[in-house]
Amino acid sequence: MERNLETRESAGGLLARRLAAAVPSGVANLFLALWIAFTLFTIAWVLISSFKTNRELFESVWSLPRGLNVQSYVKAWRISKMGNYFLNSLLLITFSTAGIVFVAAPAAYVLARVAFRGRQLVTNIFVSGMSIPQVLLLVPVFMLLRRFLLLDNLIGVGLVYVAVNLPFTIFMLISFFITLPVELEEASAIDGASPVRTFLTVMLPLAGPGIITAFIINFIWNWKEYFWPLVLISSDSKKTVSLGLYGLQGSMQYSADWVGLFAGCVIVMLPTLLLFAVMSKRIISGMTIGALKG
Amino acid sequence: MNTWLKRIVVPFLAPAAILYLVFFVFPAVQSLWVSLHNWSGFTRDMTFIGVRNFTEALKDKTFHRVLMQSLGLVFFGGILTFCLSLFFTGLLGGKGRGKGFFRAVIFSPNVITMVALATLWGFIYNPRFGLLNSLLRALGLTRLAEVSWMGPDLVYWSILAAVVWIYVGFYTVLFMAGADKIPIAFYEAAKLEGAGNLRMFFTITFPLLWDVISMGIVYWIIDGFMQFEFYYAVSGSFPPIQIWTIPIYVVILAFGKRTPIYRMGYATAIAFYLLVIVTLLVTLSRKFLRRTAVEY
Repeated sequence: MERNLETRESAGGLLARRLAAAVPSGVANLFLALWIAFTLFTIAWVLISSFKTNRELFESVWSLPRGLNVQSYVKAWRISKMGNYFLNSLLLITFSTAGIVFVAAPAAYVLARVAFRGRQLVTNIFVSGMSIPQVLLLVPVFMLLRRFLLLDNLIGVGLVYVAVNLPFTIFMLISFFITLPVELEEASAIDGASPVRTFLTVMLPLAGPGIITAFIINFIWNWKEYFWPLVLISSDSKKTVSLGLYGLQGSMQYSADWVGLFAGCVIVMLPTLLLFAVMSKRIISGMTIGALKG
Repeated sequence: MNTWLKRIVVPFLAPAAILYLVFFVFPAVQSLWVSLHNWSGFTRDMTFIGVRNFTEALKDKTFHRVLMQSLGLVFFGGILTFCLSLFFTGLLGGKGRGKGFFRAVIFSPNVITMVALATLWGFIYNPRFGLLNSLLRALGLTRLAEVSWMGPDLVYWSILAAVVWIYVGFYTVLFMAGADKIPIAFYEAAKLEGAGNLRMFFTITFPLLWDVISMGIVYWIIDGFMQFEFYYAVSGSFPPIQIWTIPIYVVILAFGKRTPIYRMGYATAIAFYLLVIVTLLVTLSRKFLRRTAVEY
């Protein structure tokens, strides 16, 4: 029907129709291109500006740095103690993330593959934690850690990280374990292997990609976040890198050292951005898994 | 088979269950008990006052204000985020080349610490030498370049725009993953019938994506009401009241900032209201948005 119409139109009419179809999609694509360019620009701009001096920055915010001024990095790393905070974060987040996966993987395995009474209930209790506002836990967790003498202590923050990330991690790992074929366990049982051994030598390696994804996503999330350290850590020497950056940003109103702050931003951004650059596909699919399977 | 496996249920569940019970479930339940008390957090003088914290909140002008701001954030921010994300999904949906790159770039703000994003946006909106105003000046729009984007009149909307920029990446990628599952044959058939891109989006992509979209709405309600980190850091110092969210109000009530407040019981009562609101909205949207899944 439409084709017939087209053939009957004059050449000019056809051109107009083609243009009318092309212009909106051209505008739409231009908008998308601008969005992408803006996002790339912002990250590049922070990186470039961090190599300027404050004077260069205020002369022109758009110019390229005259030289590679690494002074801001030295200052941020040493004087603003971002180096200390970086080490704190690296230790805290590596251990707590390993802890999350270490306790979540066996739990998810059992919840995904063993039919026991109360399985649905236990799964629901874990997964429902995903929609509980963490700020509700603020005062009780504060009281609890104070009683355990874990306030202002990175171990305390680590334990909270494990607990608050269990709902998502268990949910995600269940969806990985559930896809593995049942025959694997049957074959193992016939071979006389124990369930623990089967889990460690057969199931865990097969769920490897899922477990690595869970580790990386939790690492990125906890690296990014500063809510819990903000309320649980008070000594300067125990700050995490995101909280340290928050402090650096707060002191800006007195120091006006913007390039130093940008250097701090790059120090905090770099690890997660590098992880993302290497494994963006895996990270994206892991982070969006909930909504797709839900 | 199952009895063979059943032996491991308890030992495999125990570590996760214990940590979760002690550091999540117990505090969550205890929050209700805390919210029924008047308590400064440091002394033993925790006095039971029944539901007085909850009735006080109903009359609290600041709470009303913060609640309206959060609702506005979820509603207006949601409309903008979802329209833009669906628009980008439609544009990026069919193309194979470069799709992975676009996807990664658009998503990238979601892997950067909120403090760094807040610093960046703080500089973009800086009235004197900010990127936005200097761009406007370069374009000759001197009037517009005088605008104080972080001033009390505009700050709410300026920050909302930045938050939309962050979350559009997440939801675009989410919708694209859903759109990838739609069989290509549908689009081929539609093309043979002479359907344009727009038509294909509304007759194929949108209806078949509905399940993912409605799940995304649930996610956004939770995300939106829990906004804390970006808003708390973006002004560089004490956040102006125009950009307080419910979690920010809770933290300020509990620990104060500049001047200590330490109203632990009242803060927790407000957090409890947040839980009720989020649960209510999530349940409602689950009920009304979710149609039966389209089989294909």
